[in-house]
Amino acid sequence: MKRFAVAFALGAAVAAPVSAQDPKAVKPKDFPTQPIEYVVVYPAGGGMDVTARLLAKYVEKATGDKILVNNRTGGAGMVGHTYLATQAKPDGYTVGVLANLVWGDAMLRAQGKWAYTDLEPIGYLNTDALTWVGPTEGPLKGKTLKEIVQIAKDKPGTIRIATVPGSMWEYLVEQVDAATGAKFLRVPFQGGGAGINALAGGNVDIAQGFFAEFRGLLDAGKVAPLAVASGERMPYLRDMPTFNEALGGKDYIWAVIRFVVVPKGTPADRKAYLAASVKAAMSDPELVAEYRKAGVFFDPALMSSTRLADDLNQYAERERAFYQQTGRLK
Amino acid sequence: MGALDGLATGFAVILTPTNLYYCFVGSFIGTLVGVLPGIGPLAALALLLPVTFTLTPVAGLAMLAAIFYGAMYGGSTTSVLVNIPGEAASVVTTLDGHQLARQGRAGAALGIAALGSFIAGTASIVLLTFFAPALAAIAIRFGPPENFGLMVLGLVCTLYMITGSAVKGVLTIALGFLAAAIGIDVVNGRDRFTFGSVNLTAGIELLAVVIGLFGVAEILANVETIARNTLVAERIRGLWPTAADWRASWKPILRGSGLGFLLGLVPGGGPVTAAFMSYAVERRIARDPTRFGKGAIEGVAGPESANNAAVGGSMIPLLSLGIPSNAVTALLLGALVIQGIQPGPLFMTQRPDLFWGVVASMYVGNVFLLLLNLPLVGLWVQLLRVPYRVLFPIVLLLAIVGTYSANKNVFDLWVMLGFGVAGYALRKLEYDLAPFVIAFVLAPLLEQSLRQSLVMSPDGAMILVERPVTAGLLAASAVLVGLMLRRKQRSEGGRT
Repeated sequence: MKRFAVAFALGAAVAAPVSAQDPKAVKPKDFPTQPIEYVVVYPAGGGMDVTARLLAKYVEKATGDKILVNNRTGGAGMVGHTYLATQAKPDGYTVGVLANLVWGDAMLRAQGKWAYTDLEPIGYLNTDALTWVGPTEGPLKGKTLKEIVQIAKDKPGTIRIATVPGSMWEYLVEQVDAATGAKFLRVPFQGGGAGINALAGGNVDIAQGFFAEFRGLLDAGKVAPLAVASGERMPYLRDMPTFNEALGGKDYIWAVIRFVVVPKGTPADRKAYLAASVKAAMSDPELVAEYRKAGVFFDPALMSSTRLADDLNQYAERERAFYQQTGRLK
Repeated sequence: MGALDGLATGFAVILTPTNLYYCFVGSFIGTLVGVLPGIGPLAALALLLPVTFTLTPVAGLAMLAAIFYGAMYGGSTTSVLVNIPGEAASVVTTLDGHQLARQGRAGAALGIAALGSFIAGTASIVLLTFFAPALAAIAIRFGPPENFGLMVLGLVCTLYMITGSAVKGVLTIALGFLAAAIGIDVVNGRDRFTFGSVNLTAGIELLAVVIGLFGVAEILANVETIARNTLVAERIRGLWPTAADWRASWKPILRGSGLGFLLGLVPGGGPVTAAFMSYAVERRIARDPTRFGKGAIEGVAGPESANNAAVGGSMIPLLSLGIPSNAVTALLLGALVIQGIQPGPLFMTQRPDLFWGVVASMYVGNVFLLLLNLPLVGLWVQLLRVPYRVLFPIVLLLAIVGTYSANKNVFDLWVMLGFGVAGYALRKLEYDLAPFVIAFVLAPLLEQSLRQSLVMSPDGAMILVERPVTAGLLAASAVLVGLMLRRKQRSEGGRT
């Protein structure tokens, strides 16, 4: 995870704008003759599912192909990731719509049975950056992130923060603790939404989550945004600093990056066609507008990337470095 | 906008042919989903989510919500008729509902279930209409310590589910806890009891457990006895509940409504817990608890009302705060997000048409469901005449399809089969299986809330007595255990 911000900059430097290629121009003769399955490894209704279903709608619109969105859930995504990497036929009829969380699964949980490189990225969709939100009443009201970190440093273990064990929610707290000498009291929850719920109820002092999860409470003045773990400020919340700005660093980058993959071995012509259809859907301003309404943002470097697989792999390797540094991976 | 003005707006929105149509379609699908064992509301909502893309938000949400509460109506049908719950919230209904069917009174059980569902469903929407923001403000303060208190009380209630040997009952509860411990540890995120299997990392699927223990095991148990016959040899007596049934049922319906509503409201609660706790309450306060498990109508009226009221309760955090309290409401939230709508505390004032439209649709949907379900009672009862060898392969097929459709993971079918065989064996050994299910549901919530409470507490377990709600719930649990022990002592004293 080191030098993530640098990675963003690098990506932007090499990227050249690409005009959307018409999928019809690269359509193989014998493909597709049946519906294409978009596998989502998380339950219906979540951020990943919403992203995939909206994508399917616009790919159908752009190509006329029939897309089936299928939620293969279980093991917090692990069942679906394993299915895509080891069982799905690489014939172009199975496409994975997933997120960078697949890297952690591949590195920490797959026990060498598969690697993230068994899934080949064919299109970038959108990004959700992890955000810290605080209370709008009580002693922490109106405090900046830096001030709160100072309190957590002066009185260790008094500031309660909601985390999700074994995930980026926890890694970000760990990173802040390690870099600033603060000590937050980590209260475990199942998912970001439950933690934000606990913040609104006064059961924790800080919650972490994505914009869509706290937007309703934010509009009502029930929670206050503190900082976002992305390379640049969020378009929706221009006043909220990034962690890098607030705490002075460059490594506080934790986001869910959503993209499309095919299993390794998918024929090149089919892969090119599937990639072109995703690109065509993403060039539709209506889809971009729908994604924005759902509260996500677009990483300009990945949006214009010509070598998406390489750029994503670079991020993945930085994540591996973080796991090695923290002893999670040998 | 006052509640009555709001409601008028809502009815103006919903009483258009298109919106009424989708509300009806949702009610109909919900009933079907409830009736079919294995296919639960969650799987049905996931399948139908894409359909709502093309609808207006109010039509889409009205339809999806109707599937959710419609399933609670239909769920009792197979519980009563063939002793196989249509979904997890109707497990307890098998205990007395099916006994009533065996006595030829399936119609009475189904009738009471439908009417109880209607009364509870409507009562919970009335509460939602007038008190949603205030109740949401209370519900959100319900943190891990309060949840822990509630789960302990729920666990004590499971003790009331035990009908036969106390040792065997406690053992089933312990097995439920053990099975629930499989999966990712909630605090440190490590795998637990997964034996290196990817499929076990998220734990065992509740649906597969319920269908296995009740569906497959029931079929196995029946195959050996009545393969040549129809299910209920008794003559079918009276399709409708009698006046005596009503007298016995109206109080359980009201109690179930209140209890279910409260459990739907708080995080971690929901229709499943509500139904179990209502059964335990009815059995606890009954004059003659020994009637339970042998066809007590209260054992159908209470839980079937409670699971419907829980749906109304769980809509409150969703619509007033944008916070889902269970998997189904999380899916409803997803449906709104796809439409570009983010519910939050301002939802009611910013989108009154949508908020009140959905509330009004729930009144209408409950009427649809009552009109759908009452005439169906006669039809369902006729199913009892279908020979077993025809009926049960169909039921088994539906169970397999339903279980697979939840996660699209073949492993769940093996879980279903395994629990089917285990359930068959345990039944032969005279173990009660219902306490297993409720322990399985409560254990993860109990563990998580306790460990969260201890982490967030500055002075250890003191947090559990310092928070008044938690202290009250724990005290109530202690009193219940005390009463149970005293009763047991007395009955043993009487015997010697």
